[in-house]
Amino acid sequence: MKILVCAKQTPDSTVRVKVAPDGRSVDAAQITWAVSPYDEYAVEMALERKDADASTTVAVVSLGAARAKDSLRQALAMGCDEAILVSGPGAEALEGLGVAKALAAVAQEAKPDVVLCGRQASDDDQGLVGAALAEALGWPHVATVTKFAPADGGPAGSVNGIDVWKEVEGGHEVWRAPGPVVLTVQKSEKEPRYPSLPGIMKAKKKEIPEKDVASLGIGASLPKPEIVKMEPPAARGGGKIMKDGDAKRTAQELARLLREEAKVL
Amino acid sequence: MLPVAGSDERLLADAVAAYARDLAPRIPAAEEAGAIPREVIADLGRLGVLGMTIPEPDGGLGASSVAFALVLEEIAAVWPSLAVGVSVNSGIAEGTIVRLGTPEQKKRWLPRLIDGSGLASFALTEPGSGSDAAALRTTARRDGPTWVLNGRKMFVTNLRYAPVAIVLARVGEMDAHRPHAGITAFLVPTDAPGVVIGRAESKMGLLASDTSPLTLEDARVGADAVLGPQGTAFGAVAMAGLDGGRIGIAAQAVGIARGAIDRAAAYARERRQFGRPIGDFQLVRNALARAQTDISAARLLTLRAAWLKDRGRPFTTEASKAKLFASEMAQRATHVAVQTLGGYGYMREAAVERMARDARATTIYEGTSEIQRLVIARGMLSL
Ligand SMILES: Cc1cc2nc3c(=O)[nH]c(=O)nc-3n(C[C@H](O)[C@H](O)[C@H](O)COP(=O)(O)OP(=O)(O)OC[C@H]3O[C@@H](n4cnc5c(N)ncnc54)[C@H](O)[C@@H]3O)c2cc1C
Repeated sequence: MKILVCAKQTPDSTVRVKVAPDGRSVDAAQITWAVSPYDEYAVEMALERKDADASTTVAVVSLGAARAKDSLRQALAMGCDEAILVSGPGAEALEGLGVAKALAAVAQEAKPDVVLCGRQASDDDQGLVGAALAEALGWPHVATVTKFAPADGGPAGSVNGIDVWKEVEGGHEVWRAPGPVVLTVQKSEKEPRYPSLPGIMKAKKKEIPEKDVASLGIGASLPKPEIVKMEPPAARGGGKIMKDGDAKRTAQELARLLREEAKVL
Repeated sequence: MLPVAGSDERLLADAVAAYARDLAPRIPAAEEAGAIPREVIADLGRLGVLGMTIPEPDGGLGASSVAFALVLEEIAAVWPSLAVGVSVNSGIAEGTIVRLGTPEQKKRWLPRLIDGSGLASFALTEPGSGSDAAALRTTARRDGPTWVLNGRKMFVTNLRYAPVAIVLARVGEMDAHRPHAGITAFLVPTDAPGVVIGRAESKMGLLASDTSPLTLEDARVGADAVLGPQGTAFGAVAMAGLDGGRIGIAAQAVGIARGAIDRAAAYARERRQFGRPIGDFQLVRNALARAQTDISAARLLTLRAAWLKDRGRPFTTEASKAKLFASEMAQRATHVAVQTLGGYGYMREAAVERMARDARATTIYEGTSEIQRLVIARGMLSL
């Protein structure tokens, strides 16, 4: 089975971002970059498939700035077989549909059985690209996926449909997709693996081919909504510690505060 | 010499740092239990940490001593108990087997010290012989195709996790004029008949690191257990092994100091007294700045010794200097860290409390500070 994972480079979620002086962007100097968390789950999910069946190949593609190569290297170090960077002038400014069309061009060339995307990126939280990519490819799309596996039957090595586990309220469902499919990933079975030291050294030596976004023939870009303002969340007020030792009185007082002050009950 | 961002050494160390950071929540329980969880050792195997310095043909990554020092610093900055275990396994035990082992010995033992199924031990110290290692009294006697070992080893790190211990024993009678003559190293499987692992020591710090006595009661090992030429192990195994090991302990000390001072700096930014962060007070700044400078100096000494080792140049006195300075520095730095956190720094909940206790061992094992000074002065005076 051939898997293509789409991975976006976003600010590392463990770093506190600051609004830049222009009030409409984040301060780039403060940022360390990483694979967006849901996309990292997608990488892990693909590698879990590879663990289960060593004949699986996993390619990873990122569209964005040249620095996204570092994130691709991370994915290679985790165990992906190859990586592709889509970059060049205009790549970073592309809106969601344009990104989807560009990734569709890469997918058409790579001919994977499954394309995995994170359910949304941690920077803009738009959640558009995966579904739009399925649309652009004319492939089915399944969302909030937690696992997938080739459906039983058919000669060895052929892909005879894909079984997809997806999270739903109170449980999960198993869907079957007939052929190539785009999955947007909620979570992998295990936490994303740490790259091994040999993996890092191997990844360092791998060539990462670069495609110019302009060469993919995605046509005119749609108008992109613009960010006009960014506001950090309001500073949190101090907490309240209830020091009365009597459990019953404390509980009563807590209930009163939750009802009257916090108004959550 | 100082690996910059993006260098292979830094890439490897950063990867281990990311893993080590995520270990932090598990440390208090493991220290309390007095054991490193088996899964953590397995993780280090999977990540390739345990075999990183073994040459590629022997199944390792062939990374440099510089990279290994940086990796040990990263582990120690989070969990010193784990760092010493890795240092003994990969620095001393594997290093000695790679250097002196026969192809069969390498094939038998290295995979098990790389794959995360255990951590090897190095057993030199005895009840009557510590700094004066050549006075050791454990004996080895040939009996047909086997060797029979008798004696008692103390303070053996990793013993509970070890598939094998490198044991130094004396073959033949002790010659008072040449006490190091006859000392021979043996690869002793811990499941060999006559090998008894005693009760783990209860220590001041490094609580999760295993430190146990090893008793050899007519312990029998094969002729293939002799590591390196018979009778030469005092220099070729004990002293040479410790030279390398000292770089590891220096790196551990740098890591402990950095871990403690990073926490102290974070605390000094947040903690307010007299209406401002305590980091505003010059006395606090002075202490932190000194400690930070100390750490940088110790790291440079450590990496220099590692760099010389990587190039096959003599590094004995450089390793001693690094170990001496870094371990003494770690006492000062952890003292500052506890002081900066005030009463909170004295409490079990504070990681700096643990680190101050852990740092204490670094001036003692693999040669006390006094012994390091002897080594350094010997290099100067040739007396
Ligand atoms: C946590 C821990 C783990 C250890 N792990 C191992 C291990 O894995 N394998 C192993 O073999 N050993 C291990 N050791 C033992 C350690 O290496 C010894 O404790 C150390 O070498 C000192 O020996 P000693 O304790 O017998 O002290 P001694 O040698 O008795 O020294 C006592 C004091 O006298 C001083 N002194 C001794 N000789 C001189 C001199 N000539 N000049 C000036 N001062 C001197 C020493 O510096 C020290 O201050 C470990 C120890 C600890 C604490």
